[in-house]
Amino acid sequence: MKTYLGIDVGSVTTKFAVLDENNELVTNIYLPTQGKPIEMVQQGLKQIKQQLSNGADICGVATTGSARYLAGVIVGADLVKNEITSQAVAALQYIPQVQTVIEIGGQDSKIIIIRDGIVTDFGMNTVCAAGTGSFLDHQALRLNMNIEELSRRALDSQTPVRIAGRCTVFAESDMVHKQQMGHRTEDILYGLCQALVRNYLNNVGMGKDIQPPIVFQGGVAFNQAIVKALREELNNEIIVPPHHEVMGAIGAALLVHEEMVNSQNGSKFKGFEVSEIKYHTSSFECKACPNLCEIAQLSINGQVLAQWGGRCDLWERSQSR
Amino acid sequence: MRIGMPHMGNIFIPFKAMFQRLGVDYIMPPVNNQRTLSLGVKHSPEGLCIPFKLTLGNLIEAAELGADTLLMIGGYGICRLGYYAKVQEQILHDLGYDVEMIQLGVSERKFFGLLKMIKRLSNNAPWTKIVPAIRFGLAKSNALDRIERVVQKVRAVEQVKGTANRLLAKAVKAIDQADDYNTLNKVRMDYIDQINQINKDGQTQPLIVGITGEIYVLLEPFSNLDVESELGKLGVETRRTLFLSEWTKFSFFLNSLGLNEKARIHKAALPYLKRDVGGDGWESVGEKVLYAKEYDGLIHLAPFTCMPEIIAQNIMPATKENIPVLTILCDEQMAKPGMLTRLEAFVDLMEWKRRAQKNH
Repeated sequence: MKTYLGIDVGSVTTKFAVLDENNELVTNIYLPTQGKPIEMVQQGLKQIKQQLSNGADICGVATTGSARYLAGVIVGADLVKNEITSQAVAALQYIPQVQTVIEIGGQDSKIIIIRDGIVTDFGMNTVCAAGTGSFLDHQALRLNMNIEELSRRALDSQTPVRIAGRCTVFAESDMVHKQQMGHRTEDILYGLCQALVRNYLNNVGMGKDIQPPIVFQGGVAFNQAIVKALREELNNEIIVPPHHEVMGAIGAALLVHEEMVNSQNGSKFKGFEVSEIKYHTSSFECKACPNLCEIAQLSINGQVLAQWGGRCDLWERSQSR
Repeated sequence: MRIGMPHMGNIFIPFKAMFQRLGVDYIMPPVNNQRTLSLGVKHSPEGLCIPFKLTLGNLIEAAELGADTLLMIGGYGICRLGYYAKVQEQILHDLGYDVEMIQLGVSERKFFGLLKMIKRLSNNAPWTKIVPAIRFGLAKSNALDRIERVVQKVRAVEQVKGTANRLLAKAVKAIDQADDYNTLNKVRMDYIDQINQINKDGQTQPLIVGITGEIYVLLEPFSNLDVESELGKLGVETRRTLFLSEWTKFSFFLNSLGLNEKARIHKAALPYLKRDVGGDGWESVGEKVLYAKEYDGLIHLAPFTCMPEIIAQNIMPATKENIPVLTILCDEQMAKPGMLTRLEAFVDLMEWKRRAQKNH
């Protein structure tokens, strides 16, 4: 069986998706990144190897997400794709009429506007992470509950409290204030969800033409309270696709499938053995000019595989792969 | 009196040429780098824009090197720029630098203002010396811009990425060092030849992106994380709406004669914005309207907290002349990975659009 692997290494979670030749999902994996992207990519590969039947052959690999270049070097990716395009492609696969994709992840959130099957506009949070999964996680932790409980209890709210959501720091102090006033926790939690949705629509969604069908993807789509708040605010149905949390990885796999079909070359995939190799990461300050860029490098046994992070292409060039 | 001035792209080259011909004692601060930015950010009010912070960093570095008379653009208008020279002077004095600031007005009577300033800086040199000095400076500016236009095209299709940029860096140096018209012309033609001869990928029809927005972040690659080169690496040809030589030609010379290059742009913006909003906001809107048919997309560069460009950014999606626009807010918090993600997605978007148009 020919299969295609998509790997989405995000700031908070690392996602894997394997598609077969008919673009059906064979298996998927969802791991916390925990600041260790290399280890998580290796661990994910190990798990995929166990889950795949012996006949499955990986014919193409694509990486996406904020660590896409790093992951691409490690696994030997045939395609390195930005997460905006990957998310859009995946949404179109499942809901071909989609006109708006809302994606809220761990540290960033995006909106993608699609018309007649092509992306016409997109936006991404710029200066503030308010309204992303990390903040919800943080608040759940502070209230001594897990994120599932936060979602469930928020849905029990009857009279949501208005929380200032423009800035997470202020939102937090506002929440504390409302707690001290004696409001119900459920009402505060749903108020928080509403605040995050307002924040998202006012920042990321500003000036965007949001039309149905609206698809909601990313880890935060697990949170039914956010889905409800979005539905109320947009006054429209919100579609959460079945594999919403791995859509980035699915999109990457779809794209590499298309790429490999059109290409003469075989896959550059380094194989599952990659999960056994010891990678070494380090960094140094480049002294070539007063910018003193911090260059990060990835190596195996003292042999440098990749370098990046400079303002200019001095180090990326010296790799000359 | 030792003159210092801030950077904005290659503006230091024509000024150097002029100063040398007039025998003015000057010192150019190091080109924009991380230290300049750190200095500028440290001593600036947080909410000010990146042009303020970087130029302040330049002025501090010039003062450190012994400059006692600093040039800075000023004037009045709706944008905060009018106050910058005054505020920077105050900051420099507070830091203990005994410097005098000379404002170069960009609001009105620029041409005579410029002449008067140069007359003063050159210690009353005769006009027969000043006019040729200005002319030579402008010739250098012209040469730089002509080479850069070629680079913008070649960067998109060169086989080995980065070749055109390395030649450009050499050309800039050679132009800076040229001290007569003959050398200057030879350098210009030489490098244009060399850049044109770079091995190219002949198959592709590169996407064409217009670059519009605020003048400083447009002309200073350090402030926009070298967005044009990054687009070049992605195989995109850039067409900047503004070049230093043209801007100078019009705003200092032709406008005084009643010729206004902006009239056409303003007219295009009229249905959506009826007046100047300071800075380059009116032009940004007009350029979106004008270039909607010509280019595959538009990159709108704006300093973070820039009022005129925020106005433009919010008007742009509403025009009926449709073209994908990506606004990039430039400030010291901007990180390259975030910008690259957006650029890559924007390039994908334009490619999809082009493919869809072909299939129709």
